[in-house]
Amino acid sequence: MLFVPVTLCMVVVVATIKSVSFYTQNDGQRLIYTPFPEDTDTVAQRAVNSILNATIMITVIIVMTLVLVLLYKYRCYKVIQGWLFLSSLLLLFFFSYIYLKEVFKTYNVAMDYFTLAVIIWNFGVVGMMCIHWKGPLRLQQAYLIMISALMALVFIKYLPEWTAWLILAVISVYDLLAVLCPKGPLRILVETAQERNEPIFPALIYSSTMVWLVNMADTDRPKRNSTDAASPQQETADAVASPAPSSLSQDDGGFTPTWVNQQQHQLGPIQSTEDTRREIQEMPSARPPVDDDDEERGVKLGLGDFIFYSMLVGKASATASGDWNTTLACFVAILIGLCLTLLLLAIFKKALPALPISIFFGLVFYFATDNLVQPFMDRLALHQFYI
Amino acid sequence: MNLERLPNEEKLSLCRKYYLGGFAFLPFLWLVNVVWFFREAFVKPVYSEQLQIKTYVKRSAFGLLLWVAVLTTWITIFQHFRAEWGEVGDYLSFTIPLGIP
Repeated sequence: MLFVPVTLCMVVVVATIKSVSFYTQNDGQRLIYTPFPEDTDTVAQRAVNSILNATIMITVIIVMTLVLVLLYKYRCYKVIQGWLFLSSLLLLFFFSYIYLKEVFKTYNVAMDYFTLAVIIWNFGVVGMMCIHWKGPLRLQQAYLIMISALMALVFIKYLPEWTAWLILAVISVYDLLAVLCPKGPLRILVETAQERNEPIFPALIYSSTMVWLVNMADTDRPKRNSTDAASPQQETADAVASPAPSSLSQDDGGFTPTWVNQQQHQLGPIQSTEDTRREIQEMPSARPPVDDDDEERGVKLGLGDFIFYSMLVGKASATASGDWNTTLACFVAILIGLCLTLLLLAIFKKALPALPISIFFGLVFYFATDNLVQPFMDRLALHQFYI
Repeated sequence: MNLERLPNEEKLSLCRKYYLGGFAFLPFLWLVNVVWFFREAFVKPVYSEQLQIKTYVKRSAFGLLLWVAVLTTWITIFQHFRAEWGEVGDYLSFTIPLGIP
């Protein structure tokens, strides 16, 4: 059931990459986190630069994660909420504005400011409402997919080649370590959340079904009582009374062991007239399906997972010599990885990092297809030899 | 957000908030309101708050139609006459297509 949203996100990213050339143009702009250029004279220099870039990026991510864990530990919920709010605001308004502009340019369509303002305003406000407050589930899921796709597109545009692949690899390793090692920041985060019986940042996790929040003060039934329709009043009172950082979170409480990996990327000012700061939290880890007395079995996947999956496939479609072959291969690889991860989830019944397996397969398939399969196919086509 | 799990007062309150919110130049919100609460208002068996929800849904639908009419008219006018308006057309344009109109 997570396949559909992941597929949708990837489809959106690949479709955009293929049609809107903006996202594959190299304007020379870089993020401040990847200051070393990759158009250097020697291969060695390029390799060194990309390693440095990746190191800087990963360090930033680690620092941000630690900051987040500390904030959470010392109950600075308002700060975290504000941060999340600002970052989703930026994504929903600014990045979708740029996206729309590029799409209109690509299709050579005239658009006036008035209609544009109405569109962006509606999109943004309804998005904020669905994600941070109450809204129909399908719409919320759709918005989460859209912002993941936007974020992935930004990464594809602004990260130079080798840096991007290196970052993908290193992030998977980091995800693995941070979620599974006893001292990992995310493990600490989740354990803290479990002690306090709180959900973790529901605003940035994709959940496939609706689950109800349970009251912290309700000591008799600490588990979610979502199927109990007979006491809706109590439930809603509970939901309102909970001290969860995000209102009306639809997550399960912190009872199911959840391992969440938050990574915040801070996009500093890019070398253009717009000067924006955006912070996004990504949580690339899968949480286990809820397996208690409830009928609802929601599987949750952090938005960071969406973003990196789509980034891999998007990069593959943008820069591979094998084009659709490679793209499809990476797509299949990621889905297989997701399958395996979900399988492991069912076996171990605790939260697992969703990035490593999929990204590993994706990378292997990408490089293998690009360098081995594609020349083979080309040769076959050249000689009109069908197998 | 599953409407099934909410008590009726909550549903009414949510419908009302979506309806009132739509007045802030948010026809999309009205559309969401109509689609989301349609079943609640018209298909479900009667309950006490249903009448009010019905009114909200109807009014949202009306407001939505109004907005759609206005926007369609404006867009048609703009697209048709943009080239002829010269400077004013360019000033209003967010993206200007290339080539001969």
